[in-house]
Amino acid sequence: MTQIRLSGPRVLEATLTGDTVRAATGAMIAYDGDVKFKNAGMGGGDGLKAAIKRRATGESMSMMECTGKGTVWFAKDAMEVLLIQLQGDMIRAESDHLLLLDAGLKTDVSFAGLRGMSSGQGLFTSTVTGQGTVALLSLGGPPIALEVSPQFPLVVDPDAFIASRGQLNQSFVTDVSWRNLIGESSGEAFSLRFEGSGVVYIQPEERV
Amino acid sequence: MSSFEKVNSKVVTAQVAPGQEILARRGAMLAYEGRVGFAPVHVGQGAGGYGGSLGGMLGRAMAGENVAMMVAQGEGKVYYGHGGMHLTVIELDGSGVLSVEADRLVAHSANLQSSVVFLGSQGGIRGAVRGAVSGQGLFTTQLAGVGSVAVLSHGGTIALPVRPERPTSVDPQAYVAHYGQIQVDISASVGWRDAVGKGSGEAIQLKVTGSGTVYVQASEQKV
Repeated sequence: MTQIRLSGPRVLEATLTGDTVRAATGAMIAYDGDVKFKNAGMGGGDGLKAAIKRRATGESMSMMECTGKGTVWFAKDAMEVLLIQLQGDMIRAESDHLLLLDAGLKTDVSFAGLRGMSSGQGLFTSTVTGQGTVALLSLGGPPIALEVSPQFPLVVDPDAFIASRGQLNQSFVTDVSWRNLIGESSGEAFSLRFEGSGVVYIQPEERV
Repeated sequence: MSSFEKVNSKVVTAQVAPGQEILARRGAMLAYEGRVGFAPVHVGQGAGGYGGSLGGMLGRAMAGENVAMMVAQGEGKVYYGHGGMHLTVIELDGSGVLSVEADRLVAHSANLQSSVVFLGSQGGIRGAVRGAVSGQGLFTTQLAGVGSVAVLSHGGTIALPVRPERPTSVDPQAYVAHYGQIQVDISASVGWRDAVGKGSGEAIQLKVTGSGTVYVQASEQKV
C-alpha cells in the first residue's frame, strides 16, 4: 500500500512498496530507492477508449507511471498540494491540476456542460473514481473548500475552479449585456453554478 | 548561533556588528535599522576573508557566475529578500562544504570562505555535462567554515538526508544545494520513448551519493 503524505505545503511524499502510482509528467523532484518512471501512454493510462475520448475532446492529460520500492517527492511550479481521500465516490477535476493518482483510481472524461467556451478548459472535464488518495494542485496559495447545500447554491469563477465532489449539478451562468459590447464589463461575465450537496474546491489565483 | 532570523518564508533579518559582517547579493537589501553601511565587494580580491582568490575571480568571469555581492558593515539589523521567492537558511557547522549556484545565494556570513569550482574538475567531462544539462553553468559556488547562508528557491525547499546506503536522485531543475560529503553525478536513462516525445519527463537525473543533505525546491523553475 502506497503511503501518500505532505512534506510541507507544496511537496508531496509517496512511499512506494512495489505498486504503481500515476503522477503528472515531470513532477518528480527527487527519489530514493529503486523507482522507475515510464510514460503512462496515450490519454494518461486508462486504456484505449479513454485515450480516444481525450483526443477527441481535447481534455488532454499527460501522466507517468512510477513503479518500485522507495520514496518519491513530487511538486509542480510551487503550487500547493491538496489531498483528497476517495472511498468509491467520484470527483470532477481539472486535468491540469492532477498531481498524483493512487493505484486504485481511474480517470475518465465527462461532458461538463456549456462552460468551456470562455474558461478555456474545453467542454469536458476529467473524473476520478475509485479507492485511494488523489493529489490536486492549487495555484497561488492554499485551496479553499466551499460547501454546497440544496438551500445554498454556489457560483465560482471558472478559472479558479479546481475540483468538485458530491451530488452536484453544474451549470454555466452568463451575464453578458450591452455593457460588454462597449467594453464596460465587470470582468465576471461567465461563472460556474453548482446546485445540490457537495464540496467545491477553488484556488486563490485565476488561470490565465 | 544563526546570523539570520526568518521574518516570514520570504524575508530574513541579519544582525550586523563589527566583526560580524554579512555578504549579500547586490540589491537584496529590503530595509535596515541602525547605522549600517553597504559597500560593493569584488569577490575574488582576496581581502579580509571575503573569500576567493584570483582563480576564483577568473572562474567567475569565465563562467558568468558574476552575481555582484555587497558587504553590510556597522551596527544594526538588515532585512534581505529577493524577487518574492522563498528563502531557506542553512547553518554550516564547519563539517563540510555547501555547494550552491551563485544565482541562488542571497546572503551569507562574511566569515565563510567562498570559492568558485569548475564542475569539470569534479567528475571530468560528466561534471561538465551535468552543469550544461541542469542549466547550472559549469561553475558552482562553494562555501566552507562556520556560519549561516540564505538560499533562494521557488516554492520553498525540502531537506533530504543522504546516506551511503541510500543514494538519492534529484531532478536537475529542482536541485538547489547540497551540504556534506556528497558526490553529485549525472545519470541519464534516455530511451526510445524520449526520442519520440513520449518520455516520462524524468530522463535526466542527478545521482546524489555520500552522506549529508541535499536541498530540493518545490518547482522546476530556475531563479
